[in-house]
Amino acid sequence: MSILDETYRVAWGDLQYMWGNKIEVLLSSLIGPLLYLLAFGFGVGGTMEDPDTYVMYIVPGIISLTTLSATFSTVSMKVLVQRLFYMSFDELLLCPIHITSIILGKTVQGIVRAFISCTILLVVGWLISPEVVISPWIILAILVGGLMFSLLGLLAGILTNKTQNLSLFSSIVVVPMTFLCGTLFDVDVLPDAVAYAIYVLPLTHLSNLMRGIMLTDYSVGVDSVAIIFIYIAVMFGACYYMIKNNKC
Amino acid sequence: MDNIVEVRDLVVKFGDFTAVDGISFDVKKGEIFGFLGPNGAGKTTTIRTITTIQQYTSGSVSIDGHDIKDEYLEARKLIGIAQQHISLDKDLTVRQNLKHHAILHKIPKKDIDRIVNETADILELREFMDHKVMDLSGGWKRKAAIIAAIIHQPKILLLDEPTAGLDTRSRYMLWDLVRMLNERGTTIFLTTHYIEEAEALCDRVAIINNGKLVAIGTVDELRDLIGQVAVETTDDSGKRKVHYFRTREEATDFAHTLTDRLYSVRKTTLEDVFLEITGEDGGKLQ
Repeated sequence: MSILDETYRVAWGDLQYMWGNKIEVLLSSLIGPLLYLLAFGFGVGGTMEDPDTYVMYIVPGIISLTTLSATFSTVSMKVLVQRLFYMSFDELLLCPIHITSIILGKTVQGIVRAFISCTILLVVGWLISPEVVISPWIILAILVGGLMFSLLGLLAGILTNKTQNLSLFSSIVVVPMTFLCGTLFDVDVLPDAVAYAIYVLPLTHLSNLMRGIMLTDYSVGVDSVAIIFIYIAVMFGACYYMIKNNKC
Repeated sequence: MDNIVEVRDLVVKFGDFTAVDGISFDVKKGEIFGFLGPNGAGKTTTIRTITTIQQYTSGSVSIDGHDIKDEYLEARKLIGIAQQHISLDKDLTVRQNLKHHAILHKIPKKDIDRIVNETADILELREFMDHKVMDLSGGWKRKAAIIAAIIHQPKILLLDEPTAGLDTRSRYMLWDLVRMLNERGTTIFLTTHYIEEAEALCDRVAIINNGKLVAIGTVDELRDLIGQVAVETTDDSGKRKVHYFRTREEATDFAHTLTDRLYSVRKTTLEDVFLEITGEDGGKLQ
């Protein structure tokens, strides 16, 4: 309970900022995914023999990539600015708060943003493709995915010392994941070597998990669940090490 | 226990560079303790170590009896710090920042609004409470940061260069604030490189140079180290030189021998002590 209570205490400031800028936050989280849905679902999908099946296929993929896009840039940029420009990240380290709570607290903003954006996309996806299954498990998957990519954002925000480096990290890690990790097409169509490389990326497994939950023709892979939790553990451990050893 | 801070043989190294080199000192409860030194002397490293956010190589530091390594959460409850850089969230209002500090320091929810408002009233910040921090002037930002640092009523307030870069009016405003907080019972640990600030505010002063503590005491005790009376001379080329004496009589006798130079006899200042100790030759008293 202490950790959860402290997590809320850490997140309070970021949540205040989010609430004060709710329209901008919502629009910036939703415009990209809705454009993907429009461009790929109706644009690319419209050229296919069975457009409805393709739209149904990409709804879980776009929800997965929204957990990435809604969390990573928000958390990483906020932490970078608080560390390097506002110096307010230090304030957290000066308070009687456990490091675990600091890490979880800094991910809350990303998780909330992912939850709101993905819930809206779920409703839109269900309206245009009623065959998708909506269950409580999908909410859990969104929260877990939001936590995983928020931790990635936190780690990037701690590791980088220039905004340019953060942009570079985004360009070489986040953007390729957005397009290649089975969100918009099946990775099996790629050459074997590329498919193996993509297999190790976290978004691939979140997409698999979402499809397993939302589409009746797919099943939830145990390997995907395990890999997601391994990513969470590793990134949490890396953040803990960095903060504990004053490397942030 | 009379001491709120006890530092023993503290060493902080960054690779091969020794930023703090085996310093020991105490800060007494209720005093304003000044920590003086030139840029790069080790002041900020020392203050960051005391506040538990800088790891140290060896030695020990305790806050009111709590070792900062073993009991860092307990120690943090007793400390308030206003850092050299304004460490408030500039995207939030002053009120939101103060509330966030109160929440982080686990002040009971029912008391937060009252404490924030009372503190703002006492320190005359009420009219700026709903301004974003980024919209405040430098002096008011600094004042807001100090108020945030005391919102949880710490036993000791550490101020790292609190008036650096401020205009004279803002500096005096903060001096008044520091005095008021001290009169209300808060021990103050102040780092500064403004010597007149230390002289005006501090009960005791420590001087650090190249990571070593080179002097500690009241301003009067420090003046005794070099002599209470100074004779300042200026030669034909305009070069200034200061000679120090224990008594005015000794100084006057010396001055009378200066037939070919302009001179003045005056009381030694803390600045004289500082320059003698941290001068170009590395400090005469080291």
